[in-house]
Formats: sequence, structure tokens, C-alpha cells
Amino acid sequence: MDRIYEIAKALVALPGVSGDEQRALPELQTLLGGWFDETGRTPVSSFYGIRRSKQPNAPTVLLDAHLDTVGFVVTRICDGGFLKVAPIGRVAEKNLSASEVWIYGEQTIPGVFASKPPHLQAPGESEKKLSLSDLSIDTGFSKEKLEELVKVGTYVGFKAEPELLNERIAVSPSFDDRLCAAAHLRALELLGDEDVGVNIAFQFSAREEQGYKGAMTTAYRIDPDIAIVMDVGHAYVPGAPERRKTAIAGKGCLLSYSPQTSRRLTVWTEALAKRENIPVQPIAEPGRTGTNSNAVQTTRNGIPVCLLSIPLKNMHTANEVADLRDARAAADLVAAILRNIAKEQEGLFRHGNSSVF
Amino acid sequence: METAAFFNRLKDYCAIPGPSGMEDAVREQIIADISASGAEYEVDNLGNLIVFKRGRNRRPYKLLLAAHMDEVGFMISAVTDEGLLCFDAVGGIDRRVVSGRRVRFCKDGRTGIVASKSIHIQTPEEFGKCEPIPDMRIDIGCADRAEAEALVSIGDCAVFPPNYEEFGEGLIKSKAIDDRFGCAVLVELINSDLEYDTYFSFNTCEEIGCDGATEVCHRIRPDVAIILEATTAGDTCDAPEGRRACELRKGAVLSHMDGGTIYDKDLLSLALHIGEEAHIPCQLKNIVAGGNEARSFQTGASGARVLAISAPTRYIHSACCVAAKEDLLAVERLTRAILERSIPLC
Repeated sequence: MDRIYEIAKALVALPGVSGDEQRALPELQTLLGGWFDETGRTPVSSFYGIRRSKQPNAPTVLLDAHLDTVGFVVTRICDGGFLKVAPIGRVAEKNLSASEVWIYGEQTIPGVFASKPPHLQAPGESEKKLSLSDLSIDTGFSKEKLEELVKVGTYVGFKAEPELLNERIAVSPSFDDRLCAAAHLRALELLGDEDVGVNIAFQFSAREEQGYKGAMTTAYRIDPDIAIVMDVGHAYVPGAPERRKTAIAGKGCLLSYSPQTSRRLTVWTEALAKRENIPVQPIAEPGRTGTNSNAVQTTRNGIPVCLLSIPLKNMHTANEVADLRDARAAADLVAAILRNIAKEQEGLFRHGNSSVF
Repeated sequence: METAAFFNRLKDYCAIPGPSGMEDAVREQIIADISASGAEYEVDNLGNLIVFKRGRNRRPYKLLLAAHMDEVGFMISAVTDEGLLCFDAVGGIDRRVVSGRRVRFCKDGRTGIVASKSIHIQTPEEFGKCEPIPDMRIDIGCADRAEAEALVSIGDCAVFPPNYEEFGEGLIKSKAIDDRFGCAVLVELINSDLEYDTYFSFNTCEEIGCDGATEVCHRIRPDVAIILEATTAGDTCDAPEGRRACELRKGAVLSHMDGGTIYDKDLLSLALHIGEEAHIPCQLKNIVAGGNEARSFQTGASGARVLAISAPTRYIHSACCVAAKEDLLAVERLTRAILERSIPLC
């Protein structure tokens, strides 16, 4: 089995809707504790791990991916054992009818979004806009029993297993952003015991889908000299705007040119990828990237950031589709950056504060 | 009846892929499961499985119990240059339970995803709206037409993936409960000692218009036909009273009328009476909707008296039908109780 897929499978099995990431932390510690010299969690429930270099005064490179996933939160417990929910992150309502969820209550219980069968619909009803308020989750419990298991504020996430469509294409919920975490971890595996002359910190940030809150605070604690943020990006699909054809699934990981990343670091990374024959697709993000890049970039006195992305289809659904070759390219590129950055590009690291002020 | 064994059988039946016109695997499993029953059977020209089981006594008329083997599904209609698959529904499926879902191909177990543009790159007009099924595409992970055409051909079929699971308090959730549940009950009855001679049919192509049942009716010409099926229960918290059709945990559903049939009044009264006498929970379907093979038996050959005994099932024709075990057992008990009688026909 593809190694990145294997790591990703273990990660997507963990819960962690935005705001409920602490639920994943004990298992994450078990899973990843051995990968690092030091691990910890932050007050907003980010997980981090650090591998230290033996070189004195080694700079620190931060690898960021986010831990949280989109999902729902219970707003009302209704008659007949149904739940009303609000979205956490942007979720497409149109994919929800008769789909399965996990409800993270006193126990984790399965649920099904109710759907109105065709026999009971008025003509044309299925063409109409569906909003989350039209939907409810069937739990199969009586209201009384349900009230013991679930509270207003209980989190709900997609319920689906990861699966391979063929040897290179995988589908799963939560590939956003667990697949990227898997690629970072794979890069560490590729380095093995090699001391690349930098401390390597990995942060699995909470609350990305809720405004990047975990990334900004965790990066503050880690205090890195440079950061590689990795998230998923929209792969081109038929019907998407023409400009998105620069992000084709299977053609390599994406590398963002953006005001929210360091251009020097990005230019160097693109050249490095070319030299190492790692497939990379540059993409232009003239405004906000919608990732942790800005949060990390503006931490402390500013951190040079490089943003890599794995192209993904059906983002924020239970069936996110990725080409594992792109994840491998991302892992290879992170490993190459880590191997080369200390010796080649000391000038890329952030500067210390000047003594002017 | 051994309850755990019944639900294990139902789980197995629900997992078998069998969209209309491709019921072979379901039929083979049923034939294997009734092989020790001593019943006679034949497979007719349309793939229906017709079974005759001798009872301790003869009836002065022919009684047939029917369930359908097929489930709703999808058929591939074209392959695009991008390696995506165009498809249409086999049977009535709401586009909103298709968008963004997984499907499983019948011939090789391959998984496909009904592509759904990420919400971030949808236009505001697209939010919350599903395109018609013919405009949706299945992604099987192929990069282009040639790669896809090597794996999938026009006419190939897929169904929702197996997902049977116990759920909540005494509920089950699965694709294809409609009508593998009816098939499982019929198998239980065939494997029992019966009071009277009885015909059974496991029909094909119910979901596209009951063609299988029409043929069975001409072949057997029953005087009484009882249809076992899953019927839509609309008892969600958003549904107004009176628009729920029927409800879970209220027992077997009996209908006066649906979209295709006005049921035999005498049979309906008798079923209600037997249910009451045997303390089997029954409910009356309270809207006129849906339909089943009763119409074929009522109008086929010289016509039969018809009755439908249904399991109330939420979200039928989706990947997640939800039914209550107690209701399924009520249908089985009521059917068994009716079979033990020689129905007085005028």
C-alpha cells in the first residue's frame, strides 16, 4: 500500500471537527509520539512535535497542516430523535440528504441526514435550493434517550471510510487536511535519522476552518525561522473556471505565488523542485490563500512561508478525491526543502529584530 | 423464526448488487437459501424466481406472495473526454441523494464518486442546488477517455455501496432494504412448514415499472396476491402530521390505496382483523402515494385480489434506508398468520 495513504488512513480515522480537536489528541499522541523528540498540545488543541538537530544554534523549520475538519454542531434536539445542526466550515448542503454522519456525543453514535423520498415530494421540489435548515439528522433514538447522549453543542462529522479507486486515486472524508499532514510525516520518514542541520517542527493546527486560530498560536509557541504550510487546493474539474486548469490532479503538488507567502522562498522552492525532478504546479493566488499561510506568516515578527497544496476534488464533502502521486510529490518536495535549506539558503530565514527600535 | 438469523440474512441480501435487469446474483443467493426447503422452483424468461411450496392442506384457490429482487441503481450512458462517466438512474432516485455519493459497480466492485464541485468554487446560483442526474458525472479516477473506456462500458450498472448497520434503538440502516426485506421474509416462509400450498415469486424490474410481476401473473394466474415491500415512511421531525404516510415502530403498513392500486377491501379487513387478533401491530398508510406490483397482479391475466403488507421505511431509494426491526418482524408475523388461514373468498 502507498505509504502516504497508509499514514493518511490512520489520521482520517481520528475525529476532530473544528472546535472539537481535543477529541483527537490522545490518539494522535499515541500515533505520533514516537516520531518526535518532543511533543505537546496548545491551549487551542493543536498538536505539535519537534525533531531537534544536533548542530548548535540550528534554525527551526515549521511544517504546518491543519488537524480540524469541517462538520456540524447540534443546535436542537427534536421530537422523534432528530437533530437540527449548524455548519462548521463551508459544507455543501446539496450533498447531505441521506448521507451518513458520526455524532460525537456521550458516546459516538451513527446518524443519517433525513431526506424526503420522491413519493412525498411536490413536483419540482428536487430542483429547489436546499438549505441546512430543511434537513435534520435521524439518530434512531427516542428524544428522551437522545437527550442523554447528545447535547446542544455536540459535534457531528462525516462518516465514510477511506478507499482506493485505483492504485493512485484515493477517496476519503478529511483528506482536507489530514492527507497533507500525512505528506509532511512521510517527508520526515524519508529523511530517516539524517540530521539536516535544522530543527524540524510539525504542527497539526486546530481551527483552520474557523479562521486559522490554531496555526497562529502554535507557530507563536514554536517560534520558527521558516515555515512550509501545506493544505489541499481545488483540482480542476469540468465546469470550473478556466484559470483553475493550472491545478490538475496527478500533475504534481501546487506551489502558491501569493502576497501571503514569501516570494524568495517560493522561487527557490520551485527551482529546487525542478532540479530534483519533483512535479510541481505553480498557481497564482493574488489575494488571500484561504489557508494557514497568512496566520503563520504574521506570527511574531513575521515568518517566511512557502505554501504547498495537494490538488483535491469534492473538497469539504465525505468523498474528497486525491491523486496520491501529488501527495508523494509534496512529501518529496518537503524532504528536499529540509535537506537543502540549511546549506543553501540561510538568507531565506527570517531576520532577527534589528536594534533600531 | 430465529430473529438473529433473519437479520443476518437481510444484511447479506442488502449487500448484493442487483439493480433492475441485473438481479442474477440476488436470485442465485435466494435459490441457494431455499435449496433444502423441498419447494419446487423455476426461473422464468424475465428472470423471475417462482417457487411453489406444498403445505399440509390444499387451498381451493391460488395464493401468491411476491417480493422484488431489484433495487434502484445507475446505468452508465457515456464516457467523456476527461474520463468521467455520464449516467442515469435506474428507478426513481432523487438527485439530492446522488450528488457527491459513492457508487459501486456491479461487474467488478469498482468504486466511483459522483463528482460534486467544491462549495468554494460553486457560483452563488449553484449553492444548495443539485444538477439533474444526467448532468452529473461519476469519477472512477481515470485521467482520460481511453483509460475509462478500458474499465467501463456503456450499459454498465452501479448501485449504492453496501452499508447495513444497526442503528439507534432497534433500527437498521442500509441500501436496498426495498425490497430485500421482502425477499428475506419470503425465504423464511419457504423454509417453514406451511399449512397450505403457496406460491412465491421473487420478481425482477419492479423499480422500472413492475415488468417482472406482470409475467409472473400470467404464468401463475393467482387468485390472491400479497405483496411484501418497503414503503416510504415520512415521519421526520420536519414532516407535518398527515403527510407522513406511515411511521416507524407502529407496525406493518396496510394500504387502502396507493399511486397504482386500490386494494381489495375484504383482504384488507381480514388482515387488520388477523393482526388485531394475534396482537401484531399494524397501521394504515395515510396518504395515497407510491405503488408496487399489486397493480400488475390486479390487472394481469383475469386479475387477482391484492393486498400489500409493507415495512415502514425512511429514505427509501437512497443509500441509507432506515427501518425498525420490530416493524419488519411485524410484517413477517402478520404474513405468516394470514398464510395459516384459508381465506374465505366470495
